[in-house]
Amino acid sequence: MAASVLIGAWVAAGLTLCMFSFLYKDNPFFRFGEHLYVGISMGYTIVRIYYDVMVKSLYTPVIQEGNMWLLVAAFLGLLVLTRFIPKVSWLSRISFAVIVGFGSGVAIPRIISSNILQQVQGTLKPILGNAGQSLFGMAQFNALLILIGVVTVLIYFFFSIEHKGPIQVAARIGIYFLMINFGAGFGYTVMARMSLLIGRFDDLILFGSRDYGYASVVLLGMIAFGLFMWERRSSVSPGPDQDPRNADSNARNEYPPQ
Amino acid sequence: MAGKLLRMDRRVIFVLIALATLIPLLRPIGLPIRISPEVKQVYDYIESLPPGSVFLLSLDFDPASKPELYPMAVALLNHAFKRDLRVIGMTLWVTGTGMAEKVVSGIASEHGKRRGVDYTFLGYSPGGTNVIINMGQDLAAAFPTDHYGERTADLPVMRGVTSLRQVNYVVSLAAGTPGVESWYVYGKEKYGFELGGGVTAVIAPGLYPFLDTGQINGLIGGLRGAAEYEILVGLKGKAVAGMDAQSATHFIIIGLILLCNLFYFLTPRVGSRSVGRAQNRPGSPREAGR
Amino acid sequence: MILFLRRTFPLILTFLFGVAGALQYYIPHPVSEAALTEVSVWLRIILGFAMILGIASLCHVHYAKIRTRVAGWGYSLVVYLSMMITVVVGVWSRGQEEGTGFGWIYTYALLALQGTMFAMLGFFVASAAFRAFRARSKEAAVLLVAAILMMFGRVPLGEYLIPMAGPVAGWLLSVVNTAARRGILIGISLGGIAMSVKIIFGIERSYLGGRD
Repeated sequence: MAASVLIGAWVAAGLTLCMFSFLYKDNPFFRFGEHLYVGISMGYTIVRIYYDVMVKSLYTPVIQEGNMWLLVAAFLGLLVLTRFIPKVSWLSRISFAVIVGFGSGVAIPRIISSNILQQVQGTLKPILGNAGQSLFGMAQFNALLILIGVVTVLIYFFFSIEHKGPIQVAARIGIYFLMINFGAGFGYTVMARMSLLIGRFDDLILFGSRDYGYASVVLLGMIAFGLFMWERRSSVSPGPDQDPRNADSNARNEYPPQ
Repeated sequence: MAGKLLRMDRRVIFVLIALATLIPLLRPIGLPIRISPEVKQVYDYIESLPPGSVFLLSLDFDPASKPELYPMAVALLNHAFKRDLRVIGMTLWVTGTGMAEKVVSGIASEHGKRRGVDYTFLGYSPGGTNVIINMGQDLAAAFPTDHYGERTADLPVMRGVTSLRQVNYVVSLAAGTPGVESWYVYGKEKYGFELGGGVTAVIAPGLYPFLDTGQINGLIGGLRGAAEYEILVGLKGKAVAGMDAQSATHFIIIGLILLCNLFYFLTPRVGSRSVGRAQNRPGSPREAGR
Repeated sequence: MILFLRRTFPLILTFLFGVAGALQYYIPHPVSEAALTEVSVWLRIILGFAMILGIASLCHVHYAKIRTRVAGWGYSLVVYLSMMITVVVGVWSRGQEEGTGFGWIYTYALLALQGTMFAMLGFFVASAAFRAFRARSKEAAVLLVAAILMMFGRVPLGEYLIPMAGPVAGWLLSVVNTAARRGILIGISLGGIAMSVKIIFGIERSYLGGRD
């Protein structure tokens, strides 16, 4: 095994465990990992912007292909950065006007077509277009249920009229459709979160094998010892260099990172 | 007693979940997995494509969703290369670039495919929906060079492909926006290619309306979907291996929910007039945060 | 004049680009198609610069923490150091990940850190489910039952124990869930279109920032 892979495995296992240490409580290992993550993400993004935007999309077409029109885009891009100079920060509005204006304009017809018209068509077509088919099949029942669901959910979200009488009944039915939808969403969210956990545990198991020098096991012991020492030290004296968040560490522990 | 159990330290639950994940990973059982029609539809469509067809895989996710979407990418790429399709990889998520490049080039080399001839990885470009529009108009304008600096228009794998109109099948493996919906709204709607989706379980339920109308022709949802696709292509990968752990953790959570409701109904209710006490009641928002 | 450039000119630009963007869809003339191609290239480049803006803002926050030596400023130093090392190694590797130091940082540091950050939510979902997922009303009970059916039916063990669980979960997903999601989708889309129209006609201006 290459040395870079072995060192990499130890680094990955160590950083994974640093982050997991938050499950015990907020602590310096986690905060180190958290900030390292922010820094590396930023660095990675800078490199990608440099190569994928500045070189690939700007420098190469302008210099090699002579597409001078792109200099207009570069100028508008530079105007975005005037946000940092208070005296001329208003110039950035020109670029934002182009981005937001064009984005809004392009979105309108496409959203009308795909998210409204085609969805309405998809709701009505199975009911209206079943000539020659049985009226009481499962497919028809499902189509009818979807129609009722769509209409009642939309009625529930329609606040311009008071929810009274038949409207109230429809809105109540809509709520039940929404609740089933949220329940399904919750079930799938559990699956998603557990998948992520499985992925990390999978890596820890791999790095904990003999081939990798039992990296996960050794580092778990080291971090646990580190946490123990940190707990002891913080229980003796809070220390002047400590993050004030520590005083409220329980409060921070209450909320998982989003 | 029930109240005490409801107020137990959450780290007990953490340990339970950790064990439920760890034990099946170490000692898998291999329970059978049923194939859903929506996953089969993606598989069938790729099966129906003649060799040499253009397959674009957009890996629109970052490392946060790797455990769910990476196995899907592995399975789909294996399938595409087995079918001798021309594969174009790309990503709309900046921090997904390294991972996307690795999976595309890695699976390609396993199948003995040559870069630039049988496949390419276009890389990342900012702008999300604008990239899709740009590719639909002129693919070489969106990606003048591929990730490795080769001129896109000169690559043999791109022969006859000037825009998304010439792409036979696009699959977006997405963890959010931009993702499958963006590919439909800004891509398929105008440029007419066939579109399939592979998504994290969190966003999968939101794509069923598009599946129902045929706006996407198939959907691979979450680790479960990835496991189904692995089975379809005859590959026992990370997704299949993780499904036993999924079963265990899901059953633990179902058990926890049932227990919490049981305790909740067994716990004598505190008078709701006493606001301060009510806030500390089991099931109150403050309690939920413990 | 300066007031015109500051306030009115951006609004005129928004209107022109907005109307052109919307009309282009209905007029697929070669000229309008060419314009769409060009503007979409521009936007990709401008958005690349906008990403620099985001990174610079984050740098500014951490620089202020270091400068004023607020508690925990050492962690901001970690942000700067790791960012600079990544940039140097990335440029040294010419932005390529395969077999480079840049790829090493990505694979062994970024993947592990970001993956674990979100993997922890698995624990919190379980904890929250135990503490807050209660059938306190009829609606909550429906939500709870749907969630349990879904969790039971979408894992192999559930389908193994009760074979009907899978198809039931599938039906819930493809019929009831589809209906509700479609209602939400149509509602959100109508709201999005209304917002876009307000932006194009200069009624909504918050994207221009404060003052003037």
